[in-house]
Amino acid sequence: MKSSEKLMFILLVFAALLIFSPVGTAHAEGNPDPTDFDMPIGALPPPPYPVDNATLKKNVWPSKMDAKQELGYLTFFDPKLSGDQGPSACSDCHNPLQGWGTNEAHSKGYPGTAHWRNSQTIVNNAYLQKLFWGGSSPSLEAQAPSAARAARAGNLERDQGEARLRLAPEYVKRFNDVYGDRWPILQNAWRAIASFERYMSQIDTPFDKYMKGNKKAMSKSAIRGMAIFKGKANCFECHNGPMFTDEKFYNLGVKRGEGLDGGEDPEDAMPLVQINLRWEIYGNKGNEEWIFRSFKDDAGMWFRDKQLSSRGKFRTAPLRFTRFTAPFMHHGQLDSLMEVIEFYNRGGDENEFTKPLTTPYGEKYAGTKSPIMKKLNLTDEEKKDLEQFLLALSADPMVLPTPKLPQLQRMADWMPKK
Amino acid sequence: MKAKTKKVVYKSFLSIVAVFVAAFMLTQTVQAANIGPLPKIKINAKKAELGRKLFFDTKLSGDALLACSSCHDHKLGFTTRKPLSDGYVSMLHFRNAPTLINTAYKGGKTVLKNKRIPWHWDGRLGTNLNDMTRDALVTSETMNMDMRIMQERLRQFPSYVIEFNSAFGAKEPSNGLVRKAIPEFLKTLTSKNVPFDKGKLDSKAKAGLNLFKGKAGCIRCHNGPMFTDGKPHNTGVPENPEVFKDPVRHVTLISLLGFSQGLENIMNIRRDPGYMTVSHDAKDMGKFSTPTLRELKYTAPYMHNGMMDSLDKVIDFYNKGGGPDRPGLKDVAMVPLRLTNSEKAELKSFLLALSGDDIGAAVKYEKPDLDYQPLPNWVNNDYTIKNYKK
Repeated sequence: MKSSEKLMFILLVFAALLIFSPVGTAHAEGNPDPTDFDMPIGALPPPPYPVDNATLKKNVWPSKMDAKQELGYLTFFDPKLSGDQGPSACSDCHNPLQGWGTNEAHSKGYPGTAHWRNSQTIVNNAYLQKLFWGGSSPSLEAQAPSAARAARAGNLERDQGEARLRLAPEYVKRFNDVYGDRWPILQNAWRAIASFERYMSQIDTPFDKYMKGNKKAMSKSAIRGMAIFKGKANCFECHNGPMFTDEKFYNLGVKRGEGLDGGEDPEDAMPLVQINLRWEIYGNKGNEEWIFRSFKDDAGMWFRDKQLSSRGKFRTAPLRFTRFTAPFMHHGQLDSLMEVIEFYNRGGDENEFTKPLTTPYGEKYAGTKSPIMKKLNLTDEEKKDLEQFLLALSADPMVLPTPKLPQLQRMADWMPKK
Repeated sequence: MKAKTKKVVYKSFLSIVAVFVAAFMLTQTVQAANIGPLPKIKINAKKAELGRKLFFDTKLSGDALLACSSCHDHKLGFTTRKPLSDGYVSMLHFRNAPTLINTAYKGGKTVLKNKRIPWHWDGRLGTNLNDMTRDALVTSETMNMDMRIMQERLRQFPSYVIEFNSAFGAKEPSNGLVRKAIPEFLKTLTSKNVPFDKGKLDSKAKAGLNLFKGKAGCIRCHNGPMFTDGKPHNTGVPENPEVFKDPVRHVTLISLLGFSQGLENIMNIRRDPGYMTVSHDAKDMGKFSTPTLRELKYTAPYMHNGMMDSLDKVIDFYNKGGGPDRPGLKDVAMVPLRLTNSEKAELKSFLLALSGDDIGAAVKYEKPDLDYQPLPNWVNNDYTIKNYKK
């Protein structure tokens, strides 16, 4: 073939793929961009491991952890990796008994502070390319230190964290076994935690079994719900792929969290949450003063790209494991899956960022509410079916006990003298 | 012939220069050695008052449990009166908390124009009180505060917004102003009614002063109005065994000196390296900044690790020429002094004559307000003084 023919052939194959792809019909409406390829929903493969932090066995819950995952299990639960060694280990806001998140609207945060956002589960995070509500971390390895070191989460200084690991002989041995460290290196603790999180993947939900051919794995109601999910409710527009998220950013018009303004009663606002929002806006360098003084809600993706057209947009939340992760949305505004379904059924709500904005320089920005949000007119039966389908995206709650943690020991007792 | 004259001229020029240099150095040493009263510092009362409130406020530490006053207790001479300070929650420090009385005279030739007196026992910070305040606030071994959270905490309290406005004319509290207010308060913590400054030494103390300048040779390092040369010396103070016995303190040492200050070979260090952390020069192992001798009455135990709990022990220590250390490390001036018992007593009474009134007793404690309230009118609140002015 000549090169031009070759090119033609490739283009034809592409065109055929686009036309005959099974999802082609799903975004016929409301999505004018034909290159926007939606991944079909489907069973999860085993979690992917990056080459620079691989494990030999790639074990997944509930099989036995390998040494690296076990090290991550320990460090995940260890308050030594928080500023005051108090109640701010990873596991304190990603609690195994609360769906590896917390069941409060706002995650609790470091003592003396409060978090402003809802704590997300760690289950199945292995498959995500964007972590945090604003999608600020590209990998689990990058996410762990961001959380552990932020002043309103773990408030850990690297120097104190690494020094603590070094004086716990069990860690010295384990880090040596797993990473070959002469002395534990803190960066490797984050990598171990990432491996542990990859272990915490759930790939045997009723939905996964159903997709692999076991037609009895999901109830009839859930199967009907799946059709509604892809069809009438159009959830699939954004919640697609095996993780049920396109990892893109949308403003649904979720109302401001009650921690910020108290909802009905301003007295119910949480002062520490107000402090946290201001800190977040102030601490995000490069903002102008008028933004600091006028943004009264979590601007989501705007924190990442500083484009006013991004204000109030959040990364599409994955839908797996949601049986255990209520409340939902970035400030935990919605208490149950049914409330979430009702929210979408009425076409979402309005918030500060769905309104147009005029900057002090006279620039005008439209409201950012996603045009995909439309009234769905679901019947009660359809809502129930949809709920049943969502519940089929979770299996068991994956509870792990707090491990016995390595303790600091006087060096003279365990370091052989040269 | 000509070359010879040139040489002579050159030589005489050199000797004249040498004489001038020597004379200059002599005046410098004399000036530096001048012990005497401290100069007065101008204070802005309003800012100092705000600084006092902040000094006692636990909102200025990471988990809101510690204030400056936690390790610099006004009732305990602005120290902890423990050999080793506690440091940040769960950290435990490996050095003694020095007093804050007269700390305003330290720094890089700020108040004492011809003298640089650094802060910290290893002398790693010697610029100004503003920097020192920041250092104490943000360091993970002390208060572990993200100052941006600190300023938002303060903005949550209308009382602070109003006070920062009246002290600084600012529209709201900020971390920069905290680092101006606290130093202003520290400037008020200066020696008062010191017998030595007032020339009211009794005969015993006068004899002690002569020993101080003469036989005991203390003045060699303890000179100037602050009784310190601001330089590091190794006197052979014994190590405090607690530091390496308690792994939590050892963690703090590794964390601060190894990771934060970048000292090499930290995992094999079994003694406090002192000034070596600053210079990264092995010959500075075990050197510590000369401390001030003012207000010793209120600040026992002494030395960088609190190993001596009385002045008698300190005098005995110097009398026998300090402690042992490897040759080349210990200061050569540390030789046995051969003081008699009565001379020791005289020296002690002179040292005590360097302490004045109990400064801390006059400082009013301010209970920190931790009762956070939601801001009124969240949606239209711009957090500034505008919201509270009638």
